[in-house]
Amino acid sequence: MADIAVGTPLAAPLPRQRTLLVGTVFGTAASLMYFAALLAVYLRERSDALSDGGEWIPSSANIQLAPPTVAAWTMLMSVVTMQWAVYSIARDDRTHAIMATALTTLFGMSVVVTTSFQYTDMGLVADESIAATLIYVISGSHLAMIGIGLVFLLLMAFRALAGQYSSRQTDGFVAASIYWYAVVFVYVVIWTAIFVLK
Amino acid sequence: MTLTETNPEAEAVASGDDLRPETEAVAAGDESRPATQSSAPQWTPPTGLAGILSTGDHQVIGRLYIVFSLLLSGLALALGMLIGIEQADIDGGFGVFGQANELFQVFGLYRTTLILCGLVPLFLGLATAIAPRQLSASSVAFPRAAAAAFWTWLVGAIAHIAATFSFGGLGSLEAGAARGQSVELTVLSLGMIGVGLLVGAGVIFTTLVTQRPAGMDLLQMPSFSWSMLVATGVWLFSLPVLLANLVVSWVDMRGADSLRFGGGDAPFEMVAWAFDAPQVYAWTIPLLGITAEVFTAAHRSSPKLFEPMAFIVGAFGLLSFGAWAQSFFDSADPLAQDAHVVTNEVVFTAFALAIALVVLAYGGWLAFNAYSAGERPQITPQFALVTLSGALLTAAAVAGVLRVAEPALGVLREADGDIWRGFFDAMDDLEGSSLVTGMMNFAVLGALLAAVAGLFHWAPALLGRPLNAPLGFLAVLPLAGGAILVGATDALGGFFDQPARPYAAGNPPYGPGHFDEIDALGFVEALNVIGLIGYIAVLGGLALVALNVARSLGGAPMDEAEQGEGA
Repeated sequence: MADIAVGTPLAAPLPRQRTLLVGTVFGTAASLMYFAALLAVYLRERSDALSDGGEWIPSSANIQLAPPTVAAWTMLMSVVTMQWAVYSIARDDRTHAIMATALTTLFGMSVVVTTSFQYTDMGLVADESIAATLIYVISGSHLAMIGIGLVFLLLMAFRALAGQYSSRQTDGFVAASIYWYAVVFVYVVIWTAIFVLK
Repeated sequence: MTLTETNPEAEAVASGDDLRPETEAVAAGDESRPATQSSAPQWTPPTGLAGILSTGDHQVIGRLYIVFSLLLSGLALALGMLIGIEQADIDGGFGVFGQANELFQVFGLYRTTLILCGLVPLFLGLATAIAPRQLSASSVAFPRAAAAAFWTWLVGAIAHIAATFSFGGLGSLEAGAARGQSVELTVLSLGMIGVGLLVGAGVIFTTLVTQRPAGMDLLQMPSFSWSMLVATGVWLFSLPVLLANLVVSWVDMRGADSLRFGGGDAPFEMVAWAFDAPQVYAWTIPLLGITAEVFTAAHRSSPKLFEPMAFIVGAFGLLSFGAWAQSFFDSADPLAQDAHVVTNEVVFTAFALAIALVVLAYGGWLAFNAYSAGERPQITPQFALVTLSGALLTAAAVAGVLRVAEPALGVLREADGDIWRGFFDAMDDLEGSSLVTGMMNFAVLGALLAAVAGLFHWAPALLGRPLNAPLGFLAVLPLAGGAILVGATDALGGFFDQPARPYAAGNPPYGPGHFDEIDALGFVEALNVIGLIGYIAVLGGLALVALNVARSLGGAPMDEAEQGEGA
């Protein structure tokens, strides 16, 4: 290596292997399929229950629209902060990137808190009805998805703190943002299919 | 990575500075670094069992997949044999199993073991070992994830089999016939298998997309790599649905009373779509890639018209996605059931017909390549195996068409039923008959044959040694003959109204009363005996393959260049 003379043209750069990005897209697509399957079962069962003239969500349950709506808006706000993080790291603004990631994490945690509050508030017993079972499965799975997203975000933030990402290498943040947007998208679908339609 | 004027790495290279970490430089054997660094303790990789358990080497992981999936395929075939013994005497009560529930457990375990513990991981193992070599990559994209996927799958597979044999299984036919905790473990372990396979598929998919050398686009990949890209893409959309089914089932059975998804045989019904058309074809997609490679190699040519072949494999993958065809999407409303049974839907019929056309087109592509090669093929065990596996896939497609023939020919029946009465009568009720099992066995055992062909074809790269050809030919006969017998007897039994599910709840659960509908019971039982011989033959063929591998490992290894040619 030491015998390369100054001015010697460097070899053509290899194309970037977007391994993390492709892997994340694969995982995100798998997550979306998982929720698509759960929601398909939910809507199928709901349709059957209602076509029989019966009730879907037990009348004893008290499912308010306000907490999930607050959570949905929180998730939508996190899209802005997530994109802010990607925008910042692409411009070598590591401080803002970390701050925006921290804010996104905070929004994610607040959705976890809101959902926990809703669980205690709505009085839905998990094994009381098919609707209750499916609602807990779907929303519980989404909580797990948020958890994975938070770990992903924190990992990227710590790596950025260690100086790993810059305008030349944004893959980690872009990958985390793709996953996070899927988390938000799934919540909006859940909000519509479960809490708005009931 | 774009090098710019401000790129420190570029500047370092230009100025001769070495920016590599010390450990990297030492590992690369760079002696230009200060002598003090060589005195630092060096890490040596563990050997023996510790080495295997902690390996991230794609070749080792690939071999582990192959060894264990072949073992589990053997176990699945042994289970099929037990079911065959039971079915050899349909009206004589139970012979092997004590009660209907045991038969139901083994019936489910045969499917999960053959497909999710045998076939799919076998293809993943071949891809993990071979795909990076085909792309000239040093390894798979996420080697540690590949290792995690393998161990997750293996632990899940062992737990799944153990739980089923501990009075578990995917549900039970009657209350109290299975142990609740074992059923839960069976469901959870199947989920673990699904997660392992999904991660393994993700690793292969990412490898194929990102690890290609500069200048090689997706359509320039070898046929096997292309088929694995399509396969892992379809598995990406299928396995999460399977996981969702299992999670719903498990949560439901955790409640005080199972409401719909976790009670009775519902856990099996939730996942039964994965072992039925069209999804069963999705597990066999790599068969097309292996066949293309072995077939053209036998003709000493390269694939002609690669793009149409790639399109055919893609279309096969698209049509084989079958997560939508699950019985839990059927309407629970009795009045609406006739109109909303998934397997009666037009789209189900259309998919079965379209898949048959795609298989036909693939056969045409092979014929074109054979014709344009201009010389007779070199007959090798792998060539014989892929030819027969193609025939089995065609048989599966034909069985699939016959299965949907009743609704498809309904219009003709109404137009003039007298002329074709006998034909229409034979087509009646095939949907719930053992023709469905025959179709599955044709497709899955055909794919197993293709995977074994891949083992022969890539043996120099996989094992460092070729496999013995005469011993290979000796294995072809029982493997292919047995697979044909297993599939054909099930398929033929369907025309005599042998049910697809050879069990029923009630008392007596498996005997007179439940099989009154079978025409020519003695003939069907004779067919089942022949099918049983088929299972024994396939099992014997696999044992010969194992013997061949063991014999080969005892020989002298080939040199590196010859091994590379194998891939």
